[in-house]
Amino acid sequence: MQFRKAISEIKGLQYLAEELDLQSPMGKRFLLDSEMLYNETDLNIEYDLTDKVIQSIESDPKLIADIQSKLSHLRDIKGTVGNLDANLILDDIELFEIKSFAFHCHGILNLQKDLKQEVIGLPNLSGLVDILDPQKSGIPSFYIYDDYSEELAEARKNLRIAKSENGDSEAKLEEIFDKAQEIESRVREELCGKIRVFANDLETALNQLAHFDLLIAKAKQAIQLSFNRPELVKESTIYNGMFHPMIKDELLKQKKQYQAIDIELQKSVCLITGANMAGKTVVLKTLALCQYLCQFGFFVPASQAKVSLVNRIMLSVGDDQSELNGLSSFASEMMNVNQMVEVSQSHENVLVLVDELARTTNPVEGLAIVNAVADIFYQNNTRSVITTHYSGLNTYFRKLRVKGLDKDFGDQRITKNNINSYMDYSLVEDNTGEVPHEALRIASLLGINKEIVEKAQNQLNMNASKEEIL
Amino acid sequence: MPFLKDIEKYKSLSIVGLEKNTGKTECLNYVLSRLRDSRKQIALTSIGIDGENRDQVTQTHKPEIELNEGMMFVTSETHYAKRRLFSEVIDVSNQTTSLGRLVTAKTIHSGKVMLSGPANNAEIIRLIADLKEKGVDLTIVDGALSRKSLGSPAVTEAMILATGAALSANIPQLVFKTQYVYDLIQLTEIDSELKPKFRGIENGIWALDESGEVKDTGISSVLMIKKEKDKLFQFGTDFFVSGAVTDQFLDFLKNQKQVNQIRLIIRDFTRVFANPETYYAFVKKGGKIQVLDKTNLVAITINPVSPDGYILNSDELKLALETKLQVPVFDVKRIENAVS
Repeated sequence: MQFRKAISEIKGLQYLAEELDLQSPMGKRFLLDSEMLYNETDLNIEYDLTDKVIQSIESDPKLIADIQSKLSHLRDIKGTVGNLDANLILDDIELFEIKSFAFHCHGILNLQKDLKQEVIGLPNLSGLVDILDPQKSGIPSFYIYDDYSEELAEARKNLRIAKSENGDSEAKLEEIFDKAQEIESRVREELCGKIRVFANDLETALNQLAHFDLLIAKAKQAIQLSFNRPELVKESTIYNGMFHPMIKDELLKQKKQYQAIDIELQKSVCLITGANMAGKTVVLKTLALCQYLCQFGFFVPASQAKVSLVNRIMLSVGDDQSELNGLSSFASEMMNVNQMVEVSQSHENVLVLVDELARTTNPVEGLAIVNAVADIFYQNNTRSVITTHYSGLNTYFRKLRVKGLDKDFGDQRITKNNINSYMDYSLVEDNTGEVPHEALRIASLLGINKEIVEKAQNQLNMNASKEEIL
Repeated sequence: MPFLKDIEKYKSLSIVGLEKNTGKTECLNYVLSRLRDSRKQIALTSIGIDGENRDQVTQTHKPEIELNEGMMFVTSETHYAKRRLFSEVIDVSNQTTSLGRLVTAKTIHSGKVMLSGPANNAEIIRLIADLKEKGVDLTIVDGALSRKSLGSPAVTEAMILATGAALSANIPQLVFKTQYVYDLIQLTEIDSELKPKFRGIENGIWALDESGEVKDTGISSVLMIKKEKDKLFQFGTDFFVSGAVTDQFLDFLKNQKQVNQIRLIIRDFTRVFANPETYYAFVKKGGKIQVLDKTNLVAITINPVSPDGYILNSDELKLALETKLQVPVFDVKRIENAVS
């Protein structure tokens, strides 16, 4: 999967991509074109590079800033390099682009020498610089210099003399100009032939610089948002202090704290229960985000992470635009789950994340569906997480419960604005199979119409007394 | 020519034609030829696509711009490829226009080039700032057809107004139309301590009350004046309008009994979109218009030749304008011949 596609599916990933401090247009292209990685060696190489850049930023921030400034001057000359490689004659603008690129590349090469350790290998383009800067001016501007051909220098000199003498007719001047221009074209052709040998180096440099740009951006983001390098493992995926950067940032803006959580995912099914507003959906979204980040070579939002790689991430959070494809929300969810089940049955190495499975149908059948689907994941050892509100889950499933409103509130009144500070978002192992009954309490905290809450409570009381009589 | 000394004072200059074929290009060529010995680094560009299309419409002679050695210019890739001079590429823009990216170049030999610069004022402002960074002392912007807004002091520091037979083949008519623009350019500036009060206002009609405080009249635009006229005079008769001043609005003000006390403050002269008749009727009744920023008008140039071949008497036209406007007026055709 390409990063381009992944950001269209995962909002948190798009948010991080937009926040990246990328300097060059090809850095952006490089990121969007990058493929998800599935093997530990490739990923560890990328993490090692990121680690190197992080160390460089910490020991010499100024130098990295200088490199970034040079990167910001780069243009994406992929098309021009393609033209050069295809034996086409470049115009002055394209030659200027190549010269300017070679200058900046050379500059970055030199700056990198001052780093304690080289991060990215860059081709040496000084031969190209020498050709395109015959006057050794050190300035990236370009034209077909007189130095390239005596004949051209002579023709231009004649033109200059003819112009200054003012004696010649307009037509005559045009003729002299045309002649000089013809010679110029010939010189340009020769020049292009000479620099063609650098086409491969230029392409390498383009890619390497784009990668360098991305590495610096990743490293800066990892430092800024306290991301950490994941350790790649074969067994359980374990996050300590995992957080969702976008939501954390949003809470910070409201001067609220984000509670990071710990979670372990074995190669089996895991059900998460908990009250409404307890952050179950956020857990799923964060798990998906972390897995993507990890496999696109990013550090992850957790204080410690052991991640087991997967071939595919399948997420169902029910905010699909089901109306658009003409399916009901239930039908659309079932189609989605069907795919997951099929993948599970074929024992593919995937991460399956389902938010409130079968919540749009009646609770009796809903529970049955949850148990059935979870059972398939259980039997096929599919790494999967399902959140649910249903009680009566099979006892042999592993279950995690969000602690919820367990804290001591003191004299404080809880409202929808401060509920966040009283909610304990941490996950605990839970063997009961019962789910917390806090929906009415939370509904009343949200300040919904009292009549709803009262009537619902009466209904519950009546049911309870009926059961007692029986 | 005296006005050339003035030009060198400014960092940016626009050439605004009141009509096509009013001699903007001749005017520009003349200015450039006079700046040949200047030690200042000069750069040239135009707003929008200039030249070509217009020539195909009117089929009239449309000279290219003749640049001196060492001058810089900004034009599109398309026109850069067609240049009739040798030049060095200094920079290529990231954003594209309909004719490709913008190329900044410096001439190696004098010669001709067609100019096609950024498409709007905001980008011209950015370009002028960028050229300044590249060491340019004076940027001259050739205005395309009906781009009076280019003369706004928010865009260029100074302007040259080009008028001529193309605007009207009748001298009194031509003088009248030119005078109207001239009168707008000459609108007086408000006190400098009042200026900051209006700078940040983006829309609507605002009033300045007796205590000197700026109040929102609640009228969102001059187009709403008919519907919300009752709100207009609640804070007095001094108004600031950030957008365009239309015929309808001036007409409305003219008919109010307070008209002789009204002071209308606008950003600059380019915001007046009313007909001369409406404007003068408002002024005659005692209404006043003032501006936040006044334009530095460097000169008025005339082109006595109209595109349909009609030639006005240059001396007569020059005299008529000078008598009426009390500013020096230059005939570009004549001065051009005088130099070459």
